[in-house]
Amino acid sequence: MKVSMAIQSLRKSLLHRTAYLGNSPSISSFLKFSEFAVSARPRLTVTSNATLKWRTGERKCRWGDFCSSNSAHNKALGSCFYSNGVSASSNHNGSSYLELTDEELMKQCEMGTFKASGPGGQHRNKRESAVRIKHIPTGIIAQAVEDRSQHKNRASALLRLRTLLALKVRNAVNLEAYSPPKELLQILPLKSTVRGSDCGPQIGPHNPKFMLGVQALLDLLSALEGSVSDAAKLLGLSTGALSRLILSDDSLRLAANELRASKGMKPLK
Amino acid sequence: MKPSLRPSFTRPWPCIASNFSTFFFQLPTPLTHARNITQIRHRHIHSSPSPPPPPQLASSPPPLLPLFLRPPEYTTTVSDLLEWHSWAKSLAASIGSSFEDSDNGPDSTLLCRELNWLMEDVLDGSDPSLMHKAVARDDPDTIISLKADVQELYSLWKQRIDERRPFQYIVGCQHWRDLILCVREGVLIPRPETEIIVELVGDVISKDEGLREGLWADLGTGSGAIAIGIAKILGNYGRVIATDLNPVAVQVASFNVERYSLQDKIEVREGSWWEPLKGVEGKVAGLVSNPPYIPSDDISGLQAEVGRHEPRLALDGGAEGMDDLLHLCNGAASMLKPGGFFAFETNGEKQCKFLVDYMQNQLPGSFCNVNTVSDFAGILRFVTGFRNR
Ligand SMILES: C[S@@+](CC[C@H](N)C(=O)[O-])C[C@H]1O[C@@H](n2cnc3c(N)ncnc32)[C@H](O)[C@@H]1O
Repeated sequence: MKVSMAIQSLRKSLLHRTAYLGNSPSISSFLKFSEFAVSARPRLTVTSNATLKWRTGERKCRWGDFCSSNSAHNKALGSCFYSNGVSASSNHNGSSYLELTDEELMKQCEMGTFKASGPGGQHRNKRESAVRIKHIPTGIIAQAVEDRSQHKNRASALLRLRTLLALKVRNAVNLEAYSPPKELLQILPLKSTVRGSDCGPQIGPHNPKFMLGVQALLDLLSALEGSVSDAAKLLGLSTGALSRLILSDDSLRLAANELRASKGMKPLK
Repeated sequence: MKPSLRPSFTRPWPCIASNFSTFFFQLPTPLTHARNITQIRHRHIHSSPSPPPPPQLASSPPPLLPLFLRPPEYTTTVSDLLEWHSWAKSLAASIGSSFEDSDNGPDSTLLCRELNWLMEDVLDGSDPSLMHKAVARDDPDTIISLKADVQELYSLWKQRIDERRPFQYIVGCQHWRDLILCVREGVLIPRPETEIIVELVGDVISKDEGLREGLWADLGTGSGAIAIGIAKILGNYGRVIATDLNPVAVQVASFNVERYSLQDKIEVREGSWWEPLKGVEGKVAGLVSNPPYIPSDDISGLQAEVGRHEPRLALDGGAEGMDDLLHLCNGAASMLKPGGFFAFETNGEKQCKFLVDYMQNQLPGSFCNVNTVSDFAGILRFVTGFRNR
C-alpha cells in the first residue's frame, strides 16, 4: 500500500473511531485498523466474525452458572440490534436494569461460548477470547472479541450491554405531567430553559452517565412518536439545538433514527 | 507413581530476578534450555519423537525485555511504520486459512488482530497526539518513537508467520485476567481456560474465611499466572507458594511476582511437585495446579505454535497424559489441611471422569465434594474438591 493510501485509511479509522470514543483516543486504540470495533461503546451495526463459532445447545459452565446459546440468535447475531426496540417487562423497567451492579446484571444473563473446535486448554494457542452475553429478560445480546483477555472482553461486553439496554429498552413516559428526569437534564446544553443551575455542567458522551440521559431522551422521543420538535419544546430547547445534540453521538443518532423510521418519519441528518 | 524429577545440572546463569532490566537478557537461550529439559524427562524421549528444536533466531538479538516494558528508544517516520504495517498485513492475509487447515492454527483474521496488538505494544507510551497530527496533516515524515526498531519489527513478524513463533513470545507477554504476564520461550503461555481456576478459588474463599487466611500452593506455576491471580484475590490475607521444576519458569514467575509487588505474599520455589512443599504437609488450605496433561502421542500433532515452541516439560503428561495429575491426586490428601480445597486442570472429560472415579474409589475417605467444572467452551476441564475433615 502506498503511504498516502495508508494515511488515508488511518485517517478514516480515526474519524470513525472518534465517533465512539470519548476520551481522546489513545494511540493504541486509534491504531486498531482492523475490522473490529474497538470502542467500549457498541456500534449498532454488528461486525460479524466468521471465525467465531458459537455453541448451540445447553451445557453448564462458568459465569452465571448457566451458559447456553439460543440457536436462533446464533444464526443472526445482528438481528436483535435492529428490532424495533424492546419493551420493558412489567416488573422491571429499563432504567432499573442500568442501576444494577455488574454482578446483578450478569445474573440476568447467559454467557455464550465458543463452539469447541478441538480439545482446547494446553493444546491450543489461539487468542480467541470472545465473550458473548445475552440478557434474558430483553433478549439483547452484547459481545466483545477484540480485547486480549477473556476477563477484559467480559467487562467490555457488559459495558456494551448497558449501552444497548439504554438504547433499546423503552419505558413508558407520562406526557401529561412530564418533567424531564435529572439524568436527561444533565445531558442537555446549558441554554435549555428547563435545566436548572443545580444540574451542573453538561455531561458528554464519554461520561458513563450519558447513557442514562440518552435512555430518558429516547423514551420521550418514543412517547412523542419520534417528533424532535415536540420533544424540544418539553426540554426547553430549539428544535435545531436538540437535533444537534442527537446528531452529536453516533449511537444516539442511529437509535433515534431507527425509532423515527419505525414511526414512518425521515431520518435526522 | 513417578520419581521425583530434579534437574541434575547446575544453573549456568546467576539468579538476578530482582533486576528487571537485565533479567530477560541473561536467561539461557531457548535452545540450550530445551535440551536440558529434554534430558530431564527421559520418558518422553522414548514415548514419541522429539519435536523439532525451536528455531534459532538468526536475525534478532538474544531475548529482550517484553516489548511493552522496553523504553521507547527507537524512532521512525510514520510512513516507514505504515509501510511495515501494510507489509505485515498482507503477509498475514496471504495465510488465509492454511494454518487452520493444516493444524488448527490461526487464520488471517486472527493474525491481523495480533498485528494490531503488536502495534499497540510497540507504540505503548508514545505520544498519541503526534501520530494523530501526522495523519491529520497528511505528513508521513513525522518522527515517532517506538519500543523496537522497524527492522526488528520486520524480523519479528517474519518469525510469527514463517516459523509460527507464538505471538506472545514475540511481544513477550500474555494478557490474562486483568494481568499482563511476561512470558518467553521456555515458559508455557497461560491459557484463557486457566483463568477459571482463579474464579473457582474466589468462590471458595468468599464462603470460607479460614481458607482465605491460609496457605495456598500453585504447583507447576509456569509464568506464575495462577499464583498471582490467587494472591490478588486473597487481598490482605493468606500466602501463596508457587513452584516449578523448570528454572526458567521459576525466574519468569519471580519476575512477574515482583512486577506486581507480590514478593511478600508469593514465594516461588524450585523443585518437583511435592518436594518444595516439605515442611508444610497437612497445612495447605488450597492446592491448585495446571500440570502437563497432554498424552505423549498427541504432542507431535499439536498446533505448530504449541508443539514447536512451547516447552515439552509443560505439556507432556506421559502416555495417558495423567502421570502428573495422578501424582498430584495421590499426594493432595496428605498435603491439605482438613477442609482444604483443591482444583486441577485436565485435558477434558475423559481425564476429569477418570480422576473423580479414582479419588472416590482408589482414595476412599480422603476427599469430599469432588466435582467437575466446565470451561467456557463447555468442555469438562477442572476437578475440584475438599479434603475430608
Ligand atoms: C501446563 S504448564 C502450567 C503453567 C502455569 N501454571 C499455567 O497455567 O500457565 C505445567 C507446568 O508444570 C511444570 N512442571 C512439569 N513437571 C513438573 C514437576 N515434576 N514438578 C513441578 N513442576 C513441573 C512445567 O514446567 C510447567 O510450568
